[in-house]
Amino acid sequence: MGVFNIVIAGVGGQGVLLASRVLAESALASGMDVKQNEVHGMAQRGGSVISFVRIGEDVRSPVVMPGTADLLISFEPLEALRYLHYLKPGGRLVYNKVPLNPSTVASGLATYPPDVEERIARSCPGSRGIEALSIARDAGNVKAVNMVMVGSVLPNLPLDPRVVEEVVKEISRGKGFDVNLKALAGGVAAAGA
Amino acid sequence: MARPPEDRILLLGNEAIAHALLENGCRVASSYPGTPASEILSALAKLRKERGVEMHAEWAVNEKVAFEIAFTGSLTGLRAAVSMKQVGLSVASDPLMSAAYLGVKGGFLVISADDPGPHSSQTEQDSRLLAMMARIPVLDPSSPAHARELVAAGYELSELFEVPVMLRPTTRVCHACQDLPPGKVLPFPREADFRKSTARWAATPAFRYELHRKLDEKLAAIAAWPRTAPFRANPEAAGPKAVVASGVAAAHAREILREAGLWDRLPLYHVVQPYPVHSEFVSRLLSSHEEILVLEETTGVIEMQLLDRRRVRGKLTGAVPEAGELLPEIIAEAIATFAGTGADTARARDPERGGRRPTLCPGCPHRSSFYAIRKAAPDGIYPSDIGCYTLGMNLGGVDTVLCMGASVSQAAGFYQAYRLSGKQVDIVATIGDSTFFHAGVPALIDAVVQEARFVLVILDNATTAMTGFQPTPATGKTAAGEPAGSVDMEALVRACGIGFCKAGTPSRLPEFIGLLREAVAYSHAKGPAVVIAREPCVMDRSQADRLPAPVNVFIDETCNGCRYCTTRFECPALLYDEEGKRVAIDGLLCTGCGVCLHVCPLGAIREAPPEGKAP
Repeated sequence: MGVFNIVIAGVGGQGVLLASRVLAESALASGMDVKQNEVHGMAQRGGSVISFVRIGEDVRSPVVMPGTADLLISFEPLEALRYLHYLKPGGRLVYNKVPLNPSTVASGLATYPPDVEERIARSCPGSRGIEALSIARDAGNVKAVNMVMVGSVLPNLPLDPRVVEEVVKEISRGKGFDVNLKALAGGVAAAGA
Repeated sequence: MARPPEDRILLLGNEAIAHALLENGCRVASSYPGTPASEILSALAKLRKERGVEMHAEWAVNEKVAFEIAFTGSLTGLRAAVSMKQVGLSVASDPLMSAAYLGVKGGFLVISADDPGPHSSQTEQDSRLLAMMARIPVLDPSSPAHARELVAAGYELSELFEVPVMLRPTTRVCHACQDLPPGKVLPFPREADFRKSTARWAATPAFRYELHRKLDEKLAAIAAWPRTAPFRANPEAAGPKAVVASGVAAAHAREILREAGLWDRLPLYHVVQPYPVHSEFVSRLLSSHEEILVLEETTGVIEMQLLDRRRVRGKLTGAVPEAGELLPEIIAEAIATFAGTGADTARARDPERGGRRPTLCPGCPHRSSFYAIRKAAPDGIYPSDIGCYTLGMNLGGVDTVLCMGASVSQAAGFYQAYRLSGKQVDIVATIGDSTFFHAGVPALIDAVVQEARFVLVILDNATTAMTGFQPTPATGKTAAGEPAGSVDMEALVRACGIGFCKAGTPSRLPEFIGLLREAVAYSHAKGPAVVIAREPCVMDRSQADRLPAPVNVFIDETCNGCRYCTTRFECPALLYDEEGKRVAIDGLLCTGCGVCLHVCPLGAIREAPPEGKAP
């Protein structure tokens, strides 16, 4: 294989970085070359967050070029729209359908675009929306949205799902073990639905 | 679990640098936190503890102090390193210039992390320009693995030529993660042994001339040192045009050349040491190619050393954009134009994306402070500083941000300027605790002497929150979390000559507003006043036991949707419901700080019974 490009988008505090770590560790455990990159600092305080995971043979650059992503995982619909241009023709989008209002919208200073999902469907037919928040809540913690999202893309990854599960087990040692595994399984189930 | 053959581990670029420092015998390391450099010292302090290595790893009060401590370690023969972000190097530039002349004994690395973009900085400044000014060599890592190699090369270079060596990673190296083999920490037996030589370590101007001459000789030799010489990424390629790249731009360029089918016909030279560029390389490059494209971040440092302006393309000629990060798509376009091939057109961006500005966390004590400041001095001028609290601008509580510690001097500057026109304005400056220690103290002393009339609010959350919860000088902990000495902030403020210094709790809003009003009145009558806003950061797990018990709040039917709370208090947990024309509380985000109880002009935000059942 060449390089498989993954872009993970979301909002600071949603666990984008941990999800990236899970995918990167899984690729490493599968013997692949891995480069992962993310933005730190001020954006983490509720700003827009984007992370790149590049896996495969001989990965040099840690950054995904627009128009080359095989998979875009967005933890939020507006963020999906914001980074849609990263997908290559035929690339897959999987997104969490639950919107998170930007602070300007929460304050009533701006409005959340009303037609985000329609616009996503228009420019990216075949994209898949996931009710990640309720799945995470059912798993026992609303903060496990990131694990739900990882679960929901397992069929789209060049990785053995069992390896990903092992990595989730390993990073959850001591804390959130059951919740994370349930969330992952919930995501897998939603992907099949 | 299936493991790759070499048992590789994923390391952040900064962690890879920390590993390399330990593996190469670094014994004195010092830093001041700043994105994207912070994790270097955090990781080193943790590793030191895990591996039981005897070394000194500290969070210093600022970059100048950090530099001087590490530099002095090297004078005793030990290997040393100082790390910081690029604007921190400006703070440390005074010792940097002088240290270049004096030189070093033990290897000394100056790690200055640049932030093209910028992602989390005031400027996109290129640290290599300061290295050129100081006349010290710089190494540009292109990946975490390369950064690790260059720490080893840098120490060798530094000891061979007795010169400080700059390692200049960028955000895309510091915060890239890569699979790497875990290294070995071998014994590195050296003891501190300072050899006195006043002509060198305390050189007077007469000796400095000689040292300058010697430094120039060192640089000429370094420009011929084989280990850091440029190399060909694609030795089989041949053609009249060539690309020269350094840092992460070289990593991007490799992939782009392959994908564009140019790998065999566009020679790519990877420059590892952008200053001084190897002299033989420059002559060979100019004699074997007609046209050369230089790809580097952020300024054309390599480009300006290729001394044939007619044949070199890059930042200085406009072939590569001067501002912003060299993202792969920008490099792809520059290469396509240079090579005369057509550029791919990427998928169009959706035009209406809606911004998502960062905001203070729900429950953040700074929010209460800014709200209170605007209540106590509604027509005031609000100078502020560098940290999470810069986001106080969302609450209208931040008017200026310049650089570390400038809130205090800018408050004084505003006072002096308005005083000349006979005008009295309320000036309320804000500064974080770590930033106050870093560069606020000298400015406060100046304000006392000049009798500048303003209020300084020190936002004391007992940590350096923005960069990942490093200790401050008042925390009493080392970088590895062990007990350390500490500084009493009130005593320090009083010792600066401040007559009014009172601490308050911002979440006790009515009292805190009262305290600020008292301070403003004092400042007009007598001179600078200091209020310490003391409350733990809600995100800092180490302070969780200091947080008060959460309060259950709800919004009753009297809410008329005036949006005063969502705009003036701007808590992410307060949501304006467009359809219902009223405000609701997001139970997932609310931390129960209870401050908003005091914010609603109608009193519609109320405390629920302890069971948490809102009526």
